[in-house]
Amino acid sequence: MIKKISMEKFLSTLWNARKTQLVVTLVLFGMWLAFATANPFAFTNIITYGSWFLVAPLTIIPALSLTYIVILGQIDLSFPSVMALSAWILAKAWSGQGPTIEGVVLALCVGAFAGLLNGILVTKSGLSSIIATLGTSFFWLGVVDLGSNGFGISLSPFQNSVPFRVLMSNIMGVPTSIIWSIFVAIVLWVLLNHHVFGAHLYIIGNNITAARTLGIKTDRVIVYAYTLHGLVSGFAGILAALTTGTFYPGIGQAYLLLSIAAVFIGGTLVTGGVGTIYGSFLGGLILSLIEMGVLSSGFSGYWTEVIEGVIIVTALLVQWRLILRERRMKLQEPKMTANEAGV
Amino acid sequence: MRTEKFFRAVDLVKTFEGIVALKHINIDVAQGEVVGLVGDNGAGKSTFVKLVSGVYRPDSGYFLINGKKFERLTISDCQQLGITIVHQESTTADKQTIWRNVFLGKELTYPLGFLKINEMKRRTAELLEGLGFVAERATSPDNVLRNLSGGFRQGIQLARALDFTANLAILDEPTVGLSLAESQIVLDFVSKIKEKGKSVILISHNIYHLYPVADRFVILDRGSKVGEFLKKDMTIDDMSRVLVSIARTGHFPKEFEDKNIDSNPIVRSTYD
Repeated sequence: MIKKISMEKFLSTLWNARKTQLVVTLVLFGMWLAFATANPFAFTNIITYGSWFLVAPLTIIPALSLTYIVILGQIDLSFPSVMALSAWILAKAWSGQGPTIEGVVLALCVGAFAGLLNGILVTKSGLSSIIATLGTSFFWLGVVDLGSNGFGISLSPFQNSVPFRVLMSNIMGVPTSIIWSIFVAIVLWVLLNHHVFGAHLYIIGNNITAARTLGIKTDRVIVYAYTLHGLVSGFAGILAALTTGTFYPGIGQAYLLLSIAAVFIGGTLVTGGVGTIYGSFLGGLILSLIEMGVLSSGFSGYWTEVIEGVIIVTALLVQWRLILRERRMKLQEPKMTANEAGV
Repeated sequence: MRTEKFFRAVDLVKTFEGIVALKHINIDVAQGEVVGLVGDNGAGKSTFVKLVSGVYRPDSGYFLINGKKFERLTISDCQQLGITIVHQESTTADKQTIWRNVFLGKELTYPLGFLKINEMKRRTAELLEGLGFVAERATSPDNVLRNLSGGFRQGIQLARALDFTANLAILDEPTVGLSLAESQIVLDFVSKIKEKGKSVILISHNIYHLYPVADRFVILDRGSKVGEFLKKDMTIDDMSRVLVSIARTGHFPKEFEDKNIDSNPIVRSTYD
């Protein structure tokens, strides 16, 4: 009996603490099951998973660091342009100097710099993040278009070089890009959950006035978050160019809505203050599974977006209900009884 | 008998666009003393708190803390000096857990900024127990704050004042909006801080909340300090009469003149 109660208590604690993550995990599993039932042949084939894990990282990686921005209660629309910027810098560096590590580092630094500018603009100008990053999105895309004259640069000649293979190859059928995205996820998860920086991100997203009152340097934390997001987006841009073997100016644009959607599907609240790296990772996996699954089940590719739309709207509706409930709870705040208070 | 003061605010003046919010205010606290700062709305109580916490900068005047002079204080000064402030506005992150809220802004960390999560949880559990919050749903440091009542949330803000290094806790209207039982918990808590030898400036417009826990009362009215009384010289009815008189006329009754320990002539001239 005692054991049963403690098990129930354990499950209820687990449910309360990890509700969103459990739901997202179940959604992913349910969708996989549905697609696998529709086309057992494809989903028992390792090649299917190889291409799933090849496509997914490009949605997942920007979504991971975008989670930080959304936890702050903000949004970044410029990361696809930052992806293109870093990819262009890499392509230029490699086509000039050959496939060097320095080229990769330079491309990452440029991505971080673009993120830093976003952070400074958002904190110092007083502009809302959506407006500020809309502006920088056009700006960086314009810079890339001007710099490249709108032409692509092939990176296929370098595909046997060490830097290329470290970043983008296969290890027993598993694309290295999915391993990189797991690595990025772990680093960002540790920072968010076990570091003072992550603790401050959550507080700022919850109550920025309280954060300031209690002495947190909010502007600095926000600038760091944008810089980190720029760095990670730059890395995603590099992987995108290496995955397709080509840089082209519009390389990041496909991921704008997908990565934002991945964050929201993963349970990060639009209003900020709540969000998990795990959720965004799975959100990215879900979206890329839909793409894979729809095609492999023999439906037209157009269905992909229909299903993605339904999933996104459902996720946002669930969030909206949570936000409404929270507001209601604030309005009808229950008063503690003397008994509860222990007096 | 006045003992050595740990904290002194000397001749503080603060104006906002020509309107004087604080006029030459002197407030001090000795170690282990509870000073009740009392006054009606607009008396300047919250302005005083914001000057101490570094939100505002005084136009003139200074602070003497442990004998060291500060022209102005910042939030980090307060942290280093062991001054903890519980603001009237909510300073909680409601979507976060209790333990994160208790250590909000002063997280315990290892080198490189990694959080000492287990230690913070353990200390939070101790604090919750010490606060007397015995309801089961509130006792786990992992519970999310938004699921708790207003009294608990206020308790969390107070728990921060029981900071392990704090010497002085400044509590700005901690009982506002709380039920009777919740207010009692807060006042018991103030006594607990005092028992630990720490100092408290307890700010309230309710003398019935202040009187049982404070050792001394400083009365503010329309930005001026109008009087200062020791608890031993005044009954709660005396204090109540003084406050009502000040609210109505700007003066306190003449019979309490000799009990006013404040000798600042500027204060008196304000209403003479």
